[in-house]
Amino acid sequence: MDEHERSEGAPRPLNLAPGTPPVLTLSGICKYFPGVIANEDVSLDVFPGQIHALLGENGAGKSTLMNVVTGLYQPDGGEIIVDGYGVTFAAPDAAIAAGIGMVHQHFKLVSRFTVAENLHLGWSETPRRLSARQIEANARTLSEKFGLAIRPEAVVGTLSAGEQQRVEILRVLSRGARLLILDEPTAVLSPVEVGELFIALRRFRDGGGAVIIISHKLDEIMALTDRVSVLRHGRLVGTHLTASTTPALLVAEMIGRPVTLATSYPRGNEVPVTPSPLVLEEVTARDDGGIIRLEGVTLSLRAGEILGVAGVTGNGQPELAEVLTGLRAPDQGSVALDGVAVKQADPAVFARAGVGHVPEDRLRRALAPSLSVAENAVLREYAQAPIGGRFGFSIVRAREFAQLLADKVGVKLPGAMMPIRGLSGGNQQRLVLEREIRIASRVLVASYPSRGLDIGAIAAMREMLAKARDAGVAVVLMSEDLDEIFALSDRVAVLCAGRLMAVIDRCDADRDRIGALMSGRTQAEAA
Amino acid sequence: MSSSRTRLTVVPTQRILVGRGLALLAALLIVAVTLAAMGRSPITLFGLVMHSTVGSRFGLEDLALFMTPLMLTGAAVWVGIRVNLWNIGAEGQFYAGATAATAVGLFTGLPPALAIPAMIVAGMAAGMAWIFVPAVARAWLGVSEIVTTLLLNFVASLLVYYLATGPWADRVTGALASTERLHVILPDIWGVVHWGFPLAVFTVVVLGVLLARSRFGYETAIAGANPEAARYAGISVAPRVLAVLLLSGGLAGLAGMVEVAGTVHRLQGGIANNYGYLGIVVALLARGSCLSLIPAALLMAFILDTGIVLQTTQISASAVLAITGLLVLAIAVGDELAAYARVKKTS
Repeated sequence: MDEHERSEGAPRPLNLAPGTPPVLTLSGICKYFPGVIANEDVSLDVFPGQIHALLGENGAGKSTLMNVVTGLYQPDGGEIIVDGYGVTFAAPDAAIAAGIGMVHQHFKLVSRFTVAENLHLGWSETPRRLSARQIEANARTLSEKFGLAIRPEAVVGTLSAGEQQRVEILRVLSRGARLLILDEPTAVLSPVEVGELFIALRRFRDGGGAVIIISHKLDEIMALTDRVSVLRHGRLVGTHLTASTTPALLVAEMIGRPVTLATSYPRGNEVPVTPSPLVLEEVTARDDGGIIRLEGVTLSLRAGEILGVAGVTGNGQPELAEVLTGLRAPDQGSVALDGVAVKQADPAVFARAGVGHVPEDRLRRALAPSLSVAENAVLREYAQAPIGGRFGFSIVRAREFAQLLADKVGVKLPGAMMPIRGLSGGNQQRLVLEREIRIASRVLVASYPSRGLDIGAIAAMREMLAKARDAGVAVVLMSEDLDEIFALSDRVAVLCAGRLMAVIDRCDADRDRIGALMSGRTQAEAA
Repeated sequence: MSSSRTRLTVVPTQRILVGRGLALLAALLIVAVTLAAMGRSPITLFGLVMHSTVGSRFGLEDLALFMTPLMLTGAAVWVGIRVNLWNIGAEGQFYAGATAATAVGLFTGLPPALAIPAMIVAGMAAGMAWIFVPAVARAWLGVSEIVTTLLLNFVASLLVYYLATGPWADRVTGALASTERLHVILPDIWGVVHWGFPLAVFTVVVLGVLLARSRFGYETAIAGANPEAARYAGISVAPRVLAVLLLSGGLAGLAGMVEVAGTVHRLQGGIANNYGYLGIVVALLARGSCLSLIPAALLMAFILDTGIVLQTTQISASAVLAITGLLVLAIAVGDELAAYARVKKTS
């Protein structure tokens, strides 16, 4: 592919001095795994002073491509050109030395070290004789130089996700990175933190740096980036100037057909009037560290309706989900399941009563990553015919069951006996969701169900939740995305610092009011 | 421009078999070269080893006798590793099982038809009892089972020395290092090969089928792979950890019973002969498959036999340890290399 052809639709930036090569050029990159084409013939240019988005469905090959660029994988074909010279990165250090730095979705920091210590870890410029004062002063200088506010003496484990991310970015920049790669950086951030991140990224770009950002969130891409490259099935579909494209065009390119997310999901029937399947009364709960995370929460679920739980991440959502599904016993207060008070936290009792749970961290809690798709698929129904019984278990039936589940949600399984960690995050999520909906005859608690899903999968997930609602299930939807909450919910509950600020009917809820409640103002103030 | 190999996350069995075959050949080659460097003829020694193992009836009987306890201790360690629990104490539970079986065989005076089942039950119960405290500590308090089970091995070994040379010592022949011959022993079926051999094969097969086809097998697999997910699914982890470790201890105890009642016929110090530790090697060689314990035990038996043959030709007894280590290393390397596949390009 020659220079002209590659630049079609996305010409060189006009303000770039003639002769200045792109920071990074990929030319015909191919990467294969057995039976899978991860990347094929991917060619793109990343210019200095530009923020470049990489967009694609789950499993489109974005992460593989970035792993090739950062030296974690070796390409099976094609060339990596940095500043006009062909390079081979034998290992990630080589990429860092060439000025390419990556901030991963899961931060790679030592949580018991301070910010300053983390910044100086494994760095050639770290002084031989360490003094806490000196490295903290160094950290402060770096912080000012790159415009990222940090507290050098704070222990990383005590920081919020946004602060940890700033440390990670600062660490990469201090190593002299000229190309910064971010993998879904906003997934773990609150809206305020997203704003701060964008300011920092723009500042880095205006100083001549280049950024590649992987994201599913189209509005962020439109707001932040200068150009967009779309990958589909491992191949580059196109590169555009952000200003001359639209979200609808990008979605169509990404999944091959236009998809829009509905802004409402009208119910198919009337809400049945039945007693509440699950009631919390003045519930106070602590986390594993003994810190109070929920305080005096009173909440009554209604059959056949979706209750959206809005709130900035880390305001008691995980503990609320755990109390609702029997994983955590309340410290004070009571939980009534179908009108019967529950004494002990016993997830088995809740599951038998028809409570399904899509947890926030599916790999840690809802799946056994090293076991097969079949074994994971039957986690809720292994003790029932035809898969098992009081004593028996049939792996053959489990395999058939997994295939059934996968067909239902449109996941292509290479084989039901492969370890489930081999599936993409989006496909794991779809299987978990379907598995839980099957048993959720009364209540379904879904925590951040759209996290890591592409837009097509999100649309399908929302349809599934709406269908469960129409079937009379009380659905609890926790989400950081207010659009999602507004689109699906019948009532909106707002959590702030472990307290339930209010439960509002959808028709009375608007963005400003919910936003005010999320930031801790009381209902009277917010109204 | 670069390597076109990739590491497979799931390695097909065929690749593993080829990798291990090559590893065995490599290990054999290194042993041969070492022997040649010592001035011995590898070919003569190889002939001798072959004759004394698979090449003669006497050799085959010996292999079967070695395999019997190895299959059972291998199974004992294997059921633990399957769910991420490491019973390093099969040696101690072996001693406990042998001691309990000896007590039944010496002091109860039951007729053989009752005594043998009683010895089996006593041997397994003693193995379970020996692992009970480490198992409870692991299940409910999270105390590492590796350390506790290992330390109890030394207690068991010394206890058997004490019994065999002290209170239970043979007063009749005056051979102070062992008890007298058991009054009831496992009958022989083929030369010196006794009923313990089919019993061990049967145990391994039943264990494999049961774990694959039972709810218990599934629930323990989940609890072992991700305890958090097990809790989420309403499976209590601690009772299942206890059950698996007790099963493991029971199998090692059974191995001790079979050894004392079938092969040695008296309790003596050192009767476990490292079978408990070698069980770890057997279990690792078998990887995920229970039935593979049988060929793995055969291979280990072959190495033990080879060691004895080499000793008769004035080669140090440490050769067995060296060859075992070499083999395990070669197989680990073979397994790893088998995971690397050349990538077929589609273009």
